[in-house]
This record gives sequence, structure tokens and C-alpha cells, in this order.
Amino acid sequence: MFIINFFTILLGKIISGLLHLFGKNAGNLPGLVLWTLNKNCLKAFKIDCPIIAVTGTNGKTSVTNFIAKMFKGTGAKIITNPEGNNLDTGITSLLLNHCNFRGRVKADYLILETDESHVPVVYSKLKLQTLVVLNFFRDQLDRNGEVETLILKVNKFCETFEGNLILNGDDPNVARLGLANPNNPNVKYFSVEKYKFATDTLHEAGEGRFCPRCGKELKYEYYQYSHIGRFSCPGCGYGKISPYVRFTDIDLADHSFTADGEKYITADSTIYYMYNLCAVYSVAKLYGIDKKIIRKTFKGFRVNNGRMETFEYKGSKLMLNLAKNPVGANMTVRMINECEGEKEMLFVLNDNLADGYDVSWIWDINFSVFNNVTRVVTSGRRAYDIAVRIKCSGYDADKIVVRPDLDDAVKELFSTTGRKFAVANYTAVQPTRAALKRFTEGESSK
Amino acid sequence: MKDTLRVLHMYPNMLDLYGDSGNMELLSYRLKMRGYGFIRDQYTIGDGEKTDFSSYDLIYLGGGADFEQQLLADDLNSCKDKLLHAYKSGVFLLMICGGYQLMGQYYKDSNGQKIPGLGLFDYYTVASTDKRKRCIGNIVIETEIEGEKYKVIGFENHGGMTDNVSTPFGKVIFGNGNKFGSETEGYTEKNVIATYLHGPLLSKNPVLADHILSYCLSRKQGSAVSLEPLDDGLENRCRSVMLKRLLQTKK
Repeated sequence: MFIINFFTILLGKIISGLLHLFGKNAGNLPGLVLWTLNKNCLKAFKIDCPIIAVTGTNGKTSVTNFIAKMFKGTGAKIITNPEGNNLDTGITSLLLNHCNFRGRVKADYLILETDESHVPVVYSKLKLQTLVVLNFFRDQLDRNGEVETLILKVNKFCETFEGNLILNGDDPNVARLGLANPNNPNVKYFSVEKYKFATDTLHEAGEGRFCPRCGKELKYEYYQYSHIGRFSCPGCGYGKISPYVRFTDIDLADHSFTADGEKYITADSTIYYMYNLCAVYSVAKLYGIDKKIIRKTFKGFRVNNGRMETFEYKGSKLMLNLAKNPVGANMTVRMINECEGEKEMLFVLNDNLADGYDVSWIWDINFSVFNNVTRVVTSGRRAYDIAVRIKCSGYDADKIVVRPDLDDAVKELFSTTGRKFAVANYTAVQPTRAALKRFTEGESSK
Repeated sequence: MKDTLRVLHMYPNMLDLYGDSGNMELLSYRLKMRGYGFIRDQYTIGDGEKTDFSSYDLIYLGGGADFEQQLLADDLNSCKDKLLHAYKSGVFLLMICGGYQLMGQYYKDSNGQKIPGLGLFDYYTVASTDKRKRCIGNIVIETEIEGEKYKVIGFENHGGMTDNVSTPFGKVIFGNGNKFGSETEGYTEKNVIATYLHGPLLSKNPVLADHILSYCLSRKQGSAVSLEPLDDGLENRCRSVMLKRLLQTKK
């Protein structure tokens, strides 16, 4: 066993070294090779420090970055995957880059964004101390399959998991994981108090309308967004939780919330963002992180990387946000609407492998609520699909401009002044950032 | 005053995968642009008693997951006679994926569980017990609309293989269709379209949408209705981009 592990690490190190030598990105390939050769390759690593994993459909990258930032603030040595690479192969590559030739990984904490379907794969091999589950939404159905299948996979893992399980108590798909192992005393829920724009009825496509325990339709006191809200089952009582952390007094205008009796200021404010921070706060509380560090991180830290990232061109402000599924996109549309005054929008839609080839999810985005959007530019491989979708929601076709090429689209968008928003799906977000940078930096230096 | 089309959308809270509810939005859009009205009534479990199926112009069922299909099977069967009457009297039936499967003889799901269908038609569907064996991808079929050939573009994602289809909706040009590598897709009759195509179906196929609308309006008025054309510029460019991409990669 020792010999196999030794050669596994050695081989991985060589591949990774060669890739770096030739200036290539070693984010995934070394891990892919090791997994192909040895299904137990993760066992070759010696890790003594706690591992914290973050999973869920939306918000993984942001939450992982926030948690890592806080732990770094305490002076701890952190290994993390801030750019994604969240599959088994990506995590293996990350460990390879941070271990010695004996496979020893030296850090105080490993904070790992982990793809939902890879949670059982990775953490059947590595000892996990804390698992954070943010939400389960419909996402790339042609790649991931039905949401239910995905939840069942994670649920199966939770049946034997005895570590800390930090769950979104307002998502019926996530809270059910707390029932998976009745012998686990370390299940903790987080919850956010009803906010100003919460609704009595479901406004955006939601999942999990039926009780996972008895099949009855769940009843909601209110919906925060999509199927996130205060739910309970009239049949069996499922949904009654006592939260470990509860954010109250959510003030989106003021960018603030209250937790454990103290008020915090945040850099951004959407309800969706508040749920992410609530997960972050729960981890910080569990690990006893100094409140000063929490306060500082919440106030000043931005993930950027296409997540609520701002750009500026000749006085016109633009905010770019990733939206890879209906819920993410609906949240962004809400954010656009909640912004006062006139604005324009760029929507970039791709259908590459990592996006899923199926773009029908855009029909679950509620565009009929568009408020003061004066023009829409569409781009990407499926620029016409999103244009048709927006048109048929009742938006004036004459105000839609299709520019499949991204540079053309950005130029078109900035042919007018004023407030702008850009929405891009998974493989579109980095090219969109690049095009925005090219344009805003290139044009202003002219 | 122009007519108002009345649609019964069955189980919208259970059968609404993959943007299928978009079909309702598309019908409504194409009617309203021409000054017609559109009413969509939602049918949920337990509404069978009070619902007059035959009074509608169109009955619509979208696609759903196995779990939801099981939950509604009993309720659907309790409406069998009324649905059969509506169908016989010429109400248009539009059914996607799960809705398509449930109207046949039976659906045997990926867990081997047999869900009885409504039996309106002779076809039946069996899903592989290997959950990874699914027909997934873009699909183009050729159908005939009022005597003219028309390419219908959509997206299929189904584990169920449908057999014993006497009158298919179209001939597969790209993709799988009723089964892996099938030559045919869906099922059709004068007032029936049942298909695996998501997308949603009507988003990239405006001629098909108008065909369904003219059928319903003509039946309602008792004489042929010709719809004024709409500006489908965006739709048509969308079609040509996809047709070019899909039909050229095939070669």
C-alpha cells in the first residue's frame, strides 16, 4: 500500500511539475490522470487538519471564498480552491500542488468548494469535519439529472456522516438532510428572517414542493425567493427547526443584518447574498472566529470573479453577475429591478458542455417583471434563444439587440451612457469579464 | 371582439420541468399580439370533479420527474372518462415528455415501477433501469403541417423508450426520438401532438405554434381562421443558427 501511495504522489507531482514547466494550468489534469490509474488516489494523501466543504447549487464559490478569507484573517494557513475546480479530479490536483513527496498536506484548514455529486466520492476517501449545504435548485438538468437524484446522493452520504452538518433550514431540499442520520448530534440549521420583498406565493420556478417524508404539499408562511422560505408540512410537521444562526432585521437599503444581537454591515445586499453570508457566519460561529474579523470581512470583502463584479466606463457603472440556472438569473433580475431608475442589460448565454447543452431553463426566468429596462443586448452561442425568450415575455422586440460576438456586444452596450447590468452563464462569465476589461481598460487608455 | 382561447394546464406545479410552462407563455404571446384573448386555468390534484374538460379549447401537460409522475397517476386516471370525451369531441391535446408517456398504455419507470397510463393511445413506454441511459441532446425532426414539410427543433431528455407508435409526430433528422436511434418521434393525430421535445417546444417553432392556434380557433368559430403573420425575425434567425449547427455537424 505504501509503495502504491508513494508512486501515486510521485507520478502526480511529475505531471503537475511538467504542466507548470510548460506554463499550463494544472488545475484538473494531474488529478484526472491519478483517478484514471487509481480510484483510491485520494487515500495517498496524509491530511491531519480539519476539512470544511461547501456544496449546493448556487453560491459555493462565494461562500468558500468568504470562509477562507475569515480563516486567513485569524492567521491560519489555508488551502482552498477559490476558482472552482470542485470535482474529485480538481480537488486531487489541488492537494498534489500542496503536498510533499510523502503526500503530507500541511495546513491548518482545508476549505473546499465541492460539487454536489462529488461530495460522496471525495469524502468517502478524505475525513470531513464540516459540510455546509447551501441550497438545491434545478441546474443543468441534462448534465446533472433531476434535482431529486442529486439530493438522494448527498443524503446517502449524510446517513453515515457524523461531522458538523450546516444546513439551510429555509430550503426544504436541504433541511431534509438533517433527518438522514438521526444519531448525528452535530446538525445545525441557519435561517434568514422574512425580508421586505418576500412574497406569499411562489414567484420563480421552485423545486421540492412536496414533503420528502410524507409526500404532502408543503405550506409556506412566505417565500424569500424561489422555494426558499418558511415552510412546513401540514401532514407530518417536517420543517420545524430551531436555527443555530438566524439573521434578522435584513435591510437591503442599509446593507445590514443582525445576528446574535449584533448588527453587521455588508458590501452587497440581495436576499440571496444574505443567505450566503448566513452560511459563512454559521461556520465562523462554529469555529469561534473573532467577531472583529467577521465584521471586517462582511464589510469589505468582495469575491468579484464575475460575482457582482463592478466595471466602469466613462462614468457608466456596470455590474456583472454569474447566472447559470433560473434561480440565479431570477435573483439577478430582481436585483436589476430593485435598482431605481433606467438601466440596460446585457445577457450572455452559452451552451457549452459545462453549461449544459439545454438552454430551456431560460424560460423559467421571470422577465415579465422588468422594471425600467430601456434596452437589452444579447450575446453568446445562444444569443438568439435568449432574445426570443425576452421578447415573448412581452418586452418590446425593437429594444432588443442581438450581437453574438462578445466584443461587439460590449461595444453596443456602451454606445449609450447610464446604468448597466450584465448577466452571463457559466462558461460565458470569464469571456464576458475579459471582454469588459478589454473594452473599459482599452477604450479609456485611448 | 375577437375570441378568447381557453386552455387547461394540467398539473402545472408537478409537470413543469425544463421550462415547459414556456409553451403557455408562447401561445398567450402569439394570441395577444393578434388581439385574441388567452385564459389558462390550472388543474391540480383533486380538481377532477369540478372540471369540465370538454369546455376547453386545448389541454396541456408538460414533462415531470418520475417522483411527481407517480404522485399524480391515480388522480389522472380518475379523470379518464372526461378526458376521453374531450379528446373525442376535438379538444386539442398538447403533451410533452412525461405528459406524452402518461397518455399511453403504461410507463415503467427507471426503478421498474409500472405507472398505468390513461390508455387514450396504444403506445407504451419503458425506461431503462440504468438511470444513466437517457436520450439527451438537441433534436431536429421533420413533420408535416398543412401539407408542408416543417423542421421542428427542440431538446430531448428522457429515459423512457416509447414503442408501438402508429402515427408518429415526425421523422428524426438529428437526435434520438422515441427510442435510442429511432427514426420516429412523438405521436400525432388531427387534434393531438405528443412529443419528447422540450425547448420549450413552441419557442423555436412558430409555424407549429400557429398551426395549433388556428386549429383551436377554427374549431371554436366553426370556420377556417387564418392568422395574420407576426414578425418572427428573431425566431427564424434562431432556427437557422441551430439548423446550420446541428445538421452540419451530423455530416
